[in-house]
Amino acid sequence: MGIFSKLAEWLGVKRKECNIVVVGLDNSGKTTILNKLKPDDSQTSDIVPTIGFNVENFSSKSLQFNAFDMSGQGRYRNLWEHYYKDCQGVIFVIDSADKLRMPVAKDELDQLIQHPDLVSKRVPVLFFANKMDHRDALSSVKCSTLLKLDEISNKPWHICASNAITGEGLDEGVNWLSDQIKSYLRDLERRRR
Amino acid sequence: MAEITSREESKGYQDYEGNKKWLNAHYDPLASLYTFSQCIALSDINADGENKLIIADLGTGTYDMKLKVYRGTSLMSENAIIDLPTGVVTFYMDLTEPRTPAIAVASGSFIYIYKNLRPYFKFTLPSLPIDEKEESAWIQAKDDLIDVSVLREILDGLRSKGVILTVRSMKFLRLPPHELSTFVTLHKNSPLKMQTVVTCLETLKKSHSEDDAISCLVLGTEHLAIYILDPEAFTILTKIDIPAVPVFLSVNGLYDVDYRIVVACRNGAVYSLKRGSEVKKPVFQLSAQPVGLQRIGKNIVVACMDQTLQCYSTKGNKLWLIRMPADILTMEAMEDKQKGFKGVLVGIENHEVHVYRDKYLVNVIKTEDAVTGIKFGKFGREDSTLVMTTKGGSLLIKMLKRTAKFEEKDATTSSGPPASQQQKLNVPKKTKLFVDQTLRERNNCVVMHQQFQHDLYRIRLEAARNYAESLNKSLNPISTNPQEPLKLSVHVNGIGPMFKLIVQLQNTSLNSPSVGLFLTFHFDSSLYSVEKTLIPVPFLVPGLNYTFESYVECKSDKGISDTIKAYLCRRSSSTPIITGIINMPVSESIIVS
Ligand SMILES: Nc1nc2c(ncn2[C@@H]2O[C@H](COP(=O)(O)OP(=O)(O)OP(=O)(O)O)[C@@H](O)[C@H]2O)c(=O)[nH]1
Ligand SMILES: [Mg+2]
Repeated sequence: MGIFSKLAEWLGVKRKECNIVVVGLDNSGKTTILNKLKPDDSQTSDIVPTIGFNVENFSSKSLQFNAFDMSGQGRYRNLWEHYYKDCQGVIFVIDSADKLRMPVAKDELDQLIQHPDLVSKRVPVLFFANKMDHRDALSSVKCSTLLKLDEISNKPWHICASNAITGEGLDEGVNWLSDQIKSYLRDLERRRR
Repeated sequence: MAEITSREESKGYQDYEGNKKWLNAHYDPLASLYTFSQCIALSDINADGENKLIIADLGTGTYDMKLKVYRGTSLMSENAIIDLPTGVVTFYMDLTEPRTPAIAVASGSFIYIYKNLRPYFKFTLPSLPIDEKEESAWIQAKDDLIDVSVLREILDGLRSKGVILTVRSMKFLRLPPHELSTFVTLHKNSPLKMQTVVTCLETLKKSHSEDDAISCLVLGTEHLAIYILDPEAFTILTKIDIPAVPVFLSVNGLYDVDYRIVVACRNGAVYSLKRGSEVKKPVFQLSAQPVGLQRIGKNIVVACMDQTLQCYSTKGNKLWLIRMPADILTMEAMEDKQKGFKGVLVGIENHEVHVYRDKYLVNVIKTEDAVTGIKFGKFGREDSTLVMTTKGGSLLIKMLKRTAKFEEKDATTSSGPPASQQQKLNVPKKTKLFVDQTLRERNNCVVMHQQFQHDLYRIRLEAARNYAESLNKSLNPISTNPQEPLKLSVHVNGIGPMFKLIVQLQNTSLNSPSVGLFLTFHFDSSLYSVEKTLIPVPFLVPGLNYTFESYVECKSDKGISDTIKAYLCRRSSSTPIITGIINMPVSESIIVS
């Protein structure tokens, strides 16, 4: 970081930057969520299944996010772990209407939590129980029981029911994540000194 | 909440090593699904990117037969089926957008087609000619010219002559006597029809090989025929007659280009049909009835009722055979494109499902109940899903873990070649001697061959001479003379110097007794003294064993031994009939003293 951007940051003109990975099974709505989080004028209307990954930028009140929108398809899931090293936050999107694949989501989550690049870090994890508008959607409480979120011990986590089409629930989640990432970054800095 | 608890219940085998490769997605012990692999299909029948599970439920076998469709873990639709279902497939029958596949259910002599889960079309198999005598018997019964017992007698007679009867006649013959007349009055006025029954159903792509290309239906019938149906007009494109009742089909290729249908028949014969070729001989014959047929690459894998899994090449050569620990209930193909895995899943009576790649057992899944129906494929949005139904009617859905690997090593009993076979042997370099010998052999091959042949002839001549001599002298213990069917065997008991000779005689003929025989011994009198040198033999009854004994004393104490010959002779002739040669053991007395 150059001296000017540091200054700008301190003055509150430029927001602090951070990297996050957005993961979850295919069709869970990751791309739709990120699209909705972008400013209105840069949103697209057609969303296709992601191939490999895309990098998206969006900002909250206090943070500028570089989000790695990973593809959730089985054959691309092995890409996820390559982005764990440099990330300060994780968004895990669950399709709450896909009851059948909850065990698959849980299996992927377990692998994420136990990954060497993440296992010892207190990286905050935000869960979106997406598609809450769906007829067969499970509640966020039920999603967290099925994924056994209460067993995550060394990372702050939070689950929000969301609807990526209308944007419901997204702000709540992103605000929580911003706060957590800021304190996580502060922690890191303190430790470095 | 039921969902969560049911998932927990299947935890019994969670810790079993083989089950750890799979995620338990769903377990419903009360699904009451009674079906088998041919009646299960996975397909995107609503064109919404989510595959549904389509099951033809056999119910009790006489009623409650239903076509059930599951969306995820919940039952989405149910349609009643009139007769027992024998196969379910999904196929694209047209090009209209959105591309929705149709469901075909084989049941009785019909194929029911459903589109968007609504009945769409019913195809009826052509009726067959009826046996004239059977037809006239029913006409006579209708006009009251004969009564039911006579009708029964006629039909029974026809059946025992091997005439294939109509379903009505067969039902009639099955009835208890007091129900016969009501049956006849009920049915006699409707025309008699000979209808065949579909035994198996498959699909064959018509002219393109894409996943969503239009497919023809291929079906086998109880009356020894395979039909290929046009998917748009439902006309019969091709009929192929085969010599036995087809029960399993495996179809490859394109109808318009080239195709091959491998057919396993109920009698264990397996035929291979090609476009435009006649069916003559089976490619191979199984040792037992088939319970499943799959083509994996170029090989044909068949599961049989004698607890074996067998693999053949397309030419019919047996490549391997594996024995299962219990009866095989079903077999299905398993293909995971992402992992590049091709294998078969075998459902076994002992509550296990085995996964074989080639002949190697790579995974064993333990289940709560014996699995009777298996399908592997995309369900919902998950590509590698294993759907299983059990004997008790439960439904299990497992998903292959992304990180799961199938290695031959984790098999409990690996039947492959040992690892040491892969190691390179330390073969020494060719020596000069070896090279010289090779050269010599190459140069003198003709001479060497001639020499070898010469010696071979001499050996044969020598053998023939000795044989002739032994025949002349009757030196062998079994008589070669058909007039004297006798067998002799001699044992020696004891350690010496006193031995006991035990001679056994048997008349091997069926009914001609032997008379006037005696036994005598030939020996070196300086070495041995025999107690009875002549034993008269009584009348020999055919088949019985006669035992004679004599003591022999060894006179020498120098530790030498000789042979004693036992002759069976007739008073009138000087050559013995048969001879037994006894190699006497060395007398042990010297060692003892
Ligand atoms: N009803 C409803 N549909 C949603 C919601 N979020 C996403 N979808 C739909 O779900 C489908 C998949 O969304 P994507 O954003 O492409 O999913 P993804 O997680 O990026 O999928 P991959 O890129 O394949 O990993 C799209 O058709 C979305 O319109 C939601 O909250 N409610
Ligand atoms: Mg995407």
